[in-house]
Amino acid sequence: MRPKSENQNLSTTSSSSISDAPSSTSIDPIFLILRILPFSFLRPPRLRLKIPTFTLPSPMTVYALVLLTYFMVVSGIVYDVIVEPPGIGSTQDRVTGSVRPVVFLPGRVNGQYIIEGLSSGFMFVMGGIGIVLMDLALDRNRAKSVKLSYASAGITSVVIAYMMSMLFIRIKIPAYLR
Amino acid sequence: MVGKVEPVNGSVKSRTNQSTSAAMQAATLKKDMLNNIFSLKSLKLKTKQQELLIRVSILCLVYVLAFMTRLFSVLRYESMIHEFDPYFNYRTTLFLTQKGFYEFWNWFDSESWYPLGRIIGGTLYPGLMVTAAIIYWVLRFLSFSVHIREVCVLTAPFFASNTTLVAYFFGKEIWDSGAGLVAAALIAICPGYISRSVAGSYDNEGVAIFALLLTFYLFVKAVNTGSLTWALGSAFGYFYMVSAWGGYVFIINLIPLYVLVLLITGRYSMRLYVAYNCMYVLGMLLAMQIRFVGFQHVQSGEHMAAMGVFFLMQVFYFLDWVKHLLSDTKLFQAFLRITVTCAVGVGAIAFGVGTASGYISPWTGRFYSLLDPTYAKDHIPIIASVSEHQPTAWSSFMFDFHILLFLFPAGLYFCFKRLSDATIFIVMYGLTSMYFAGVMVRLILVATPAVCLISAIAVSATVKNLTLLVRAKDKAAPSGSGKGSSARGSSKGLVDHSQPFQRNGAIALLLGAFYLLSKYATHCTWVTSEAYSSPSIVLAARGAHGNRIIFDDYREAYFWLRQNTPQDAKVMSWWDYGYQITAMGNRTVIVDNNTWNNTHIATVGRAMSSYEDEAYEIMRSLDVDYVLVVFGGVSGYSSDDINKFLWMVRIGGGVFPVIKEPDYLVNGEYRVDKGAAPKMLNCLMYKLSYYRFGELTTEYGKPPGYDRARGVEIGNKDIKLEYLEEAFTTSNWIVRIYKVKPPNNRW
Repeated sequence: MRPKSENQNLSTTSSSSISDAPSSTSIDPIFLILRILPFSFLRPPRLRLKIPTFTLPSPMTVYALVLLTYFMVVSGIVYDVIVEPPGIGSTQDRVTGSVRPVVFLPGRVNGQYIIEGLSSGFMFVMGGIGIVLMDLALDRNRAKSVKLSYASAGITSVVIAYMMSMLFIRIKIPAYLR
Repeated sequence: MVGKVEPVNGSVKSRTNQSTSAAMQAATLKKDMLNNIFSLKSLKLKTKQQELLIRVSILCLVYVLAFMTRLFSVLRYESMIHEFDPYFNYRTTLFLTQKGFYEFWNWFDSESWYPLGRIIGGTLYPGLMVTAAIIYWVLRFLSFSVHIREVCVLTAPFFASNTTLVAYFFGKEIWDSGAGLVAAALIAICPGYISRSVAGSYDNEGVAIFALLLTFYLFVKAVNTGSLTWALGSAFGYFYMVSAWGGYVFIINLIPLYVLVLLITGRYSMRLYVAYNCMYVLGMLLAMQIRFVGFQHVQSGEHMAAMGVFFLMQVFYFLDWVKHLLSDTKLFQAFLRITVTCAVGVGAIAFGVGTASGYISPWTGRFYSLLDPTYAKDHIPIIASVSEHQPTAWSSFMFDFHILLFLFPAGLYFCFKRLSDATIFIVMYGLTSMYFAGVMVRLILVATPAVCLISAIAVSATVKNLTLLVRAKDKAAPSGSGKGSSARGSSKGLVDHSQPFQRNGAIALLLGAFYLLSKYATHCTWVTSEAYSSPSIVLAARGAHGNRIIFDDYREAYFWLRQNTPQDAKVMSWWDYGYQITAMGNRTVIVDNNTWNNTHIATVGRAMSSYEDEAYEIMRSLDVDYVLVVFGGVSGYSSDDINKFLWMVRIGGGVFPVIKEPDYLVNGEYRVDKGAAPKMLNCLMYKLSYYRFGELTTEYGKPPGYDRARGVEIGNKDIKLEYLEEAFTTSNWIVRIYKVKPPNNRW
């Protein structure tokens, strides 16, 4: 911010320039040049402008963004962009000839369809948020009912996320843990 | 010592006293006997000593566990080197122990890349070889006569155990000792790390992850304490990392990024200044001692971030000093703006001049493809063809991390709650490494320590919360062992309402947490046993009755080469097998896994995909005597050369436009049966793989010439070779060796 010194520059005609117009005590050479060259005959309008200040976001805002990025990475978005698999696979039923959807890409560990990636990523994030909710339920002086609901939501999130992830991996890799 | 009860003098006291004193005498007699037997009771440990004992014993158990869980393949097969790259490392270590360090450092190898040779001394990272050689010499000095191969096989598990110790100290630095212990336990069995450090996998990463974590730990310790000793230690840790693995570029970019984030969030301090300056300057000078790295720290674009941040730190220090001298804040603000503008301007101009004049080289393809993952697919087929360089799908993450994927976001939350210099570091390490792990499967290894540490924070904090609830009954005594717990305990309100319900709930949750961790341990052991303990050079399959059948064809072929060909024979094969042929077969190869010369590899690819007469011209020009191909049609092995053939075509076609990929495809589909493209049916690779295969019946009920790996009957069964003759085929037809016939005598 420009240092606010006493305003001695009543002599300059046009420079009721911008709201913070100090001047003769300014040591900025470019400002002095600009004051002479265009702005001795041009009159800039009165505007209410502020130099945008850069404030750091709060940690929890950053954490929310980080969680979003984690969701995208763990869903395999880079795999989706490069290998371009279909959103969901399809197989033809041999008997009836109808086309049935296949959600999980079979046969390989390192391969996926887009939707299966996104749903698994969502499960992981849900598990993480469950643990966070459990901690929120313990660590604050909140109303007891709020704490109870946080705790139960947290516990159910973790349980559901773990069970679904196990189910997904068992569908994808039939020989898992055998 | 239990005090002895003095027997009351019987004559003065009453009868009751006499009887009680007799009873007491009997009791003390019993107690004395017990004390003599269980003399441990006499050393009553104070709580602090008990805690130390528990910690040390846990660390010892974790150390042994980390070593033991990596020994599956040694127990199942034998103590041998796995995969492809470790064979080169083994050969160089053998050379080092036989000829000494100076010969090793100045070694020019004419046995690989046949006409060109390779300057091994200047194109490898010597850290791993020197480490194994030192361990070998120490053991020899202590009169253990071990073979260098055993030392090489067991180097990786040994360093994995050391990594768990470093993880403990790192966790203690970031959070507290409980988190450190959990981190050590998690990283001991995490499959993401085990995959590259199993016994027999004698590769750079086994040692490099230890060096990486050590460098990071020492640097964070230096930033926390501001001590020059720790900064010096981190510089030496960085030197070890540079000597061990090309992934040191990650350190030299993460640490400046971390310093930049600290500067932006207003955490500049003298400690940071001392730590970063010492580490950067010394680390850079030490890194230049490795010939392979050379002057890259001042010349390569990948290292410029560190230099930029170094100068920025000097500007910050200068501004701080001027602020200290000046008492006029307004003047200082003006001075600040001018200086920052000038500094940024000068830096940008210098960078621009350096890049434009070519002094600062741009980012190499390998690292550029990490920032822009689509780059390799379009421009560099060699990088795109390696299976470890594929991007990661969710199931690979799940396989390698299991419940750590849930604990990672929770741990990030705890770190964001308690921000400090150390937690900011681990958050940044975790995020950047997870992004890179998403880009390339191989880099899950680099992310593993960060994920384990952050998950350990989550586990430790959650378990601490729960145990506080369990112990909340006696409010008077928060236990002395919980270091941070007393501070936390005061912030817990409303703990004593509905007490037994909360206590039981907390116990149930604790049991749930232990259940999850035990499932993690089960998963890790299963994954290690099934997926990551295969030597790749020995294949195993289940027979019809469930018994295990071993295919040892690779070693059979290499030893045939070693014993039945002339010493100066040259072998042409696809680059995957180069290291193994040189190490085990002891013969000169044309191309190997180093892949430093794309044109040479493209020449081999062109030879493999041309008709036999054109290929013969190329082979004569390269002085090839034998050709080796890998074929999986009889055994059903799916990683054979016919499945890799399209990469040969793409790489060859990238340099020699006569090779066009559509010539080998039919309607965009790759086939080897009757409907295959004619060029495919007559190219050298097809002929060498399927020679005499048309007469063989491979499966009951299928026609002769049925390829079990592709699942089709081959198209061209009547193959005649004009310029080559078959020299050797292994027992399961996996490796086939052909001799190149010398040109016909004229007249």
